[in-house]
Amino acid sequence: MAVNGTRGPGSLVILDPTDESSPDVRTAIERPASLDGLRVGLLDIAKPRGDVFLDRLAELLAERGITVRRYAKPTFTKPMPPDLRREITTECDVVIEALAD
Amino acid sequence: MHDFVALEGRGVVAAFLASSEFVQAADAQARALGYREVPSVFVPHPIQDRTDEEMRALADAALEEVLARVTR
Amino acid sequence: MDLLDEGLVAVVKRDCPTCQLVEPVLADLSRAPGLRVFTQDDPAFPAGVADRRDDTALDASLALDIETVPTLVRFAGGVETGRVVGWSRAQWTELTGVADLGEGLPEHRPGCGSRTLDPDVADELLVRARGGSLRSRRLEISALEDEAEALFDRGFSDGLPVVAPTPARVLRMLDGTSRKPDEVVAVVPPNLVEATVEKVAINAVLAGCRPEYLPVVLAAVEAACTDEFNAHGLLATTWAAGPAIVVNGPVRAEIGMNWAGNALGQGNRANSTIGRALQLVIRNVGGGRPQGVDRAALGNPGKVGFCFAEDEEGSPFEPLAQSRGVPAGRSAVTVFAAEGPRGVVDQISRRPESLARSLALGLRGVVHPKLVRGFDATLVVCPEHARVFADAGWDRARLEAALDEALLLDRAEITRGAGGIDEGVPPGGSDQPLPKFRPGGLMIVHAGGGAGMFSAVIGGWAGGPGGSAPVTREVEPWR
Repeated sequence: MAVNGTRGPGSLVILDPTDESSPDVRTAIERPASLDGLRVGLLDIAKPRGDVFLDRLAELLAERGITVRRYAKPTFTKPMPPDLRREITTECDVVIEALAD
Repeated sequence: MHDFVALEGRGVVAAFLASSEFVQAADAQARALGYREVPSVFVPHPIQDRTDEEMRALADAALEEVLARVTR
Repeated sequence: MDLLDEGLVAVVKRDCPTCQLVEPVLADLSRAPGLRVFTQDDPAFPAGVADRRDDTALDASLALDIETVPTLVRFAGGVETGRVVGWSRAQWTELTGVADLGEGLPEHRPGCGSRTLDPDVADELLVRARGGSLRSRRLEISALEDEAEALFDRGFSDGLPVVAPTPARVLRMLDGTSRKPDEVVAVVPPNLVEATVEKVAINAVLAGCRPEYLPVVLAAVEAACTDEFNAHGLLATTWAAGPAIVVNGPVRAEIGMNWAGNALGQGNRANSTIGRALQLVIRNVGGGRPQGVDRAALGNPGKVGFCFAEDEEGSPFEPLAQSRGVPAGRSAVTVFAAEGPRGVVDQISRRPESLARSLALGLRGVVHPKLVRGFDATLVVCPEHARVFADAGWDRARLEAALDEALLLDRAEITRGAGGIDEGVPPGGSDQPLPKFRPGGLMIVHAGGGAGMFSAVIGGWAGGPGGSAPVTREVEPWR
């Protein structure tokens, strides 16, 4: 039974346990001031031709002194497998994921 | 988009690049996962029939926006 | 839902054999005007009834307070004048005034539970009836999210799974107190946010509490948010201690707390979740989070929640709450700053003087064996040690005095540099020994299993003004 008017199908309504001072939607985590000294990853989601785009992006970042590590998902149709996720989260501070079409 | 949630949930700053065809789908998926918006960069559709030269030009054009999405 | 002013109202559901049994009876009664039948599940049931109403939303069932189907109610002048539950030829005949009802049916047959009592339906009805009393922001976990993961992702957890605080669960939790949801319990540090009964109840649901624990949680929040306890300072210190709770009085048994074997450990729901609920209130309502305002260098495992009950029945001592001014027979919580407990073995002492000195030696290690008067501590005396004091007729005051005496430390041993250790008390002009604890800085509690001559020392934090002092509050006002 809907307890508020905007509830989507199959969702669960809970009551906020906090002081409600932060927004009620999730937000992206705080961004760094710059990429200097951070470990940057490029994640290829395995769509055709995404590699050409990412190769160029890596070149451009390298020109700015940012070295990137490259990762590739086995398939764009599924979330990345746990091993890859673990690898990326231990090796990167920032990840750019491309290229969905 | 699930990858974005998985990475950010583990403290990795993430951004998502897609073609302009993806704007609506990305928005719907973000909302379904509890976000109002996800840091994203959209490049002009289509992608798959582009020449290598065109793809590189898209990357050149996207660079500044990509940097803006992963920094303050 | 339109109840009748005059006549008969029946409430039935198809999924009940007794209702199916009386289907022809209702059809017979329906030949005369003045019978209205409400159906809880199948609007096409029962057949042959002229005035049949869909009550799948259960509004009429709720208005009539139906617990069993079939129920037959007579109204006259808009007032209920009679009610029959289940099938009974004699009672139905009397209520309806119609003879020879239900030919061929047994004389009587008990009814079935009303749909309003189905657990899932009961939740919906609870929220429908009382959800409006809840003021907290409603958050949506979408169908694509895993519920448990979503609660972690939103930062509501201390690192262990939490129970989703749905409106129905929160309403059931609130049944544990007569206080209104919008009453303010305390101003919670570090952000000095007013915590309402409702916010505390939400966090009690997260923590896994049962509704009957709520008054204890409310009293603990009240106690922890006092100026004397200074939860802000305790949170912000780099020292490892966090808030712990000792519970006294009848409430201990009423809610099934543990004061016996493994009293300070895991395995008892009330012990584990009450302490956790207090910490979640400080985290979620007050905004006190590790590596945020919580600056603990190491912390301790009890910061997930540390709560136990005192063994009053087997104790040679007056209950802790009574020693702190609570009238006998009343329940209370005492919050105090606590590190993790550490054991003190003594399997030899049979004289109270010897045992007291032995336990004092264990207490001397609090904060540092060469430092005095800065930090408070709590001594949990186990039953096998308490027996020695009981046999000698020692009460709490006698043991406290013996500990104080044994904890007068010789300056020569504790001055900086003594024993080749640079840490210690600064050299002073006097040769007077120094007391380890400030007056009132040592608290004694009795708990534990019947076997094991192992008491426990729980180090605290800076005692008194500027630090934290134990605070006792009664539970009764929060029931």
